[in-house]
Amino acid sequence: MNFRRITSAVLLVSALFYQTVASGQTPAPAPKAPKPPAAPQVVTIIHRLNGLKMFRLLLRSEQVQSIDALDSAFNLMDDVHTNVIAGLAMDDGETIAAWLPEADVEFGPQIVGFPAPPKSQMFPGSVNGFFDGPDVSVIGADGKQVPAKYIGLDAATGLSILKLENKNTVSASAIKEEPVSSGDSVLLFGPEQVTKTRPVLARMGAIEGRVENVMPAPSGGIARFKVSAAKLSKANIGGVAVNQAGDTIGIIDGLEGNEASILPVALIKRAAQRVLERQASVPRPWLGVKGEAVAALKLDEIQNHGWEMQRAAALAGKHRGILLTSIVPGSPAERAELRAGDVILKVDDKDIQTADEFTWWLEQAGPSSSVEFTVARPDRPVEWALNVKLSGMSDQWSRVNWRSRFPSIKGFWLIDQGIETIALKPLVASQLGTTPGLLVVYVDPVTAAFEAGLEPGDVIQTINGEPVSAFRTSPNSDLYTFEVVRKKQKRVVKIPAKKK
Amino acid sequence: MRKTNCKQIRRELDELMLGETWSAAATEHLSECAECREFHVQQTKLRKIVGSLGTIEAPADFDFRLRARLAKGASSAPAIYWRLVRSGLIAAALAVVVLLGVVAVRDAMRLGENPGEVARKPEVHQPVKADQAPPVIPEQKPSDHVVADVTPATIRKFRPTQQADYKKRPLSSIAISSTGASVLNGTQPAAMSTAFPIDSSAQSFTVSLEDGRGNAKTISVPTVSFGSQRIVQSGNQFAPKRDW
Repeated sequence: MNFRRITSAVLLVSALFYQTVASGQTPAPAPKAPKPPAAPQVVTIIHRLNGLKMFRLLLRSEQVQSIDALDSAFNLMDDVHTNVIAGLAMDDGETIAAWLPEADVEFGPQIVGFPAPPKSQMFPGSVNGFFDGPDVSVIGADGKQVPAKYIGLDAATGLSILKLENKNTVSASAIKEEPVSSGDSVLLFGPEQVTKTRPVLARMGAIEGRVENVMPAPSGGIARFKVSAAKLSKANIGGVAVNQAGDTIGIIDGLEGNEASILPVALIKRAAQRVLERQASVPRPWLGVKGEAVAALKLDEIQNHGWEMQRAAALAGKHRGILLTSIVPGSPAERAELRAGDVILKVDDKDIQTADEFTWWLEQAGPSSSVEFTVARPDRPVEWALNVKLSGMSDQWSRVNWRSRFPSIKGFWLIDQGIETIALKPLVASQLGTTPGLLVVYVDPVTAAFEAGLEPGDVIQTINGEPVSAFRTSPNSDLYTFEVVRKKQKRVVKIPAKKK
Repeated sequence: MRKTNCKQIRRELDELMLGETWSAAATEHLSECAECREFHVQQTKLRKIVGSLGTIEAPADFDFRLRARLAKGASSAPAIYWRLVRSGLIAAALAVVVLLGVVAVRDAMRLGENPGEVARKPEVHQPVKADQAPPVIPEQKPSDHVVADVTPATIRKFRPTQQADYKKRPLSSIAISSTGASVLNGTQPAAMSTAFPIDSSAQSFTVSLEDGRGNAKTISVPTVSFGSQRIVQSGNQFAPKRDW
């Protein structure tokens, strides 16, 4: 009898406790949402970075001079980070477009050269087997992982274009330019984390959003549109926007507050076409200027760039043109003799009113193309036409700002030779099984250094016989002799100096 | 007087089996005492829940192992042998009941999170337009949270062959079960709800750096990031503003 009583009491207490917990934690059933459309064209992209690429990423992103310590399990060639992001399977059954946030770490400042480099130089790994190309793979709607090849980066949109090794291994659907209007309901698809257990589990999820603002392109169609949604975060970037009918309408390429900026389908298709035609990365068209739309400037700001009051007022009154505030030395703009203070009024007869319009028309022209600017200058009474040949650049920041971030060896800038390095302290060098020196994290494949055989992973010990810390460049040097350690073996690499 | 009655009646109710009838005194008391009626209702609910959980069968050798263990302990403490047996059985019974209760409550809570998710029917998809290829819909299994038939071995098998022979850090085995994904904004993930494992490093990457001005800092990089959760500060520089 006692046993039954004790058991009953425990049961009662337990049940009451659990009921309390359950009733406190179980949310009220949400009203049943309408079933979202299937979007099998949305896939998951897995992009992995090994230790060497991670070093390069740190070098590009942080003010890094040296590596002082690493966790004990670190190995240069091990994967250290995996990015999971949505991708869009295009209608040919084999092309995938995805906005990979770390794609820029895979390429040199010039996207391995422009025009397209020989295929053997696309990724150094294909030559020396050490520094591999992007490690990407695709997970289809059924959860199966399929191999994909990285074709290239379209720098104007930031989209990476992949190709499945086996056609139709993931679902695809027609990618049409569907109309998009403010107020439309959309779904933003993207992979989301299910569990943080090992291994991490993910699956495709979707959130609801609403189109808030559609920005027309100067040449017709849509340039961008914004979608508002609750709980938007950076994890949603790269997600694919799908309308209520299940048609793809764009890819999220950025966030501004509670709104996602969406790259429309027309631009996605054009980006894929550019990369596929070239079978390589396509840089942004580069002019080499900084500036601001005249319409966004105050009168005194225009005057500060050499404009007389009367002409500055006339410019401001017309609300058109881009005032150039600086010119990058050696850039196409400098070669065309553009100056700070000049105002570009037209690009190929199209009036320019905003910075976005200027960007748009340059991107329409494309890298290595010639454009005609209509220019006004403070000390020149009439406007005139100027032809400028644009160049290409994947990563403008790299060319302009990198120099200061790389170890300077008394005037010898390794970055000028296409070599990116990071210093290894003795403890770290010992851990990596090498000696202190400059660890090469990247060699631009279109440089003499690459041709000479310098490889990522090499540790530079001396240059022209002097330790890297004491090296003084000789004004007359036309050949640099690098003593490097590669896989615990000493080697000598002779690199002709890059001629300016 | 009533308190005494409550105590007696509750004891009587306590000792009743499901479906048994109680005394006339209890009937009379229950008609007057709301607290005891509530007690009775809770008691009945509890018994029904426990009764619906089914029978847990002990392993075939449970009896043998129990006897062996008891025999081993008997030599050292013969005086308290039966007391231990009895209290051990009670404790075991309580543990089983608590465990079953936890399972039952957890299931109930999951059901509350995803109403209608149990015994889910295959997805019904929107009509496909004539000029579109029919979408391939992954087969839906009864559970919404299905671990795909992908193992670390198959993941690696499918990794692009251009990759070097990376030495991977050890990867733990795939979790047998998965918990529910967050359902955002009341929208359930569409047809592609199959969970899949991400083959990633087992250990986060931590590095100590020194900048050009002699400042040291330590950066810890997560093993996995989703979307554009940049793993380091600076953003993607594909399209810097006001730079052409």
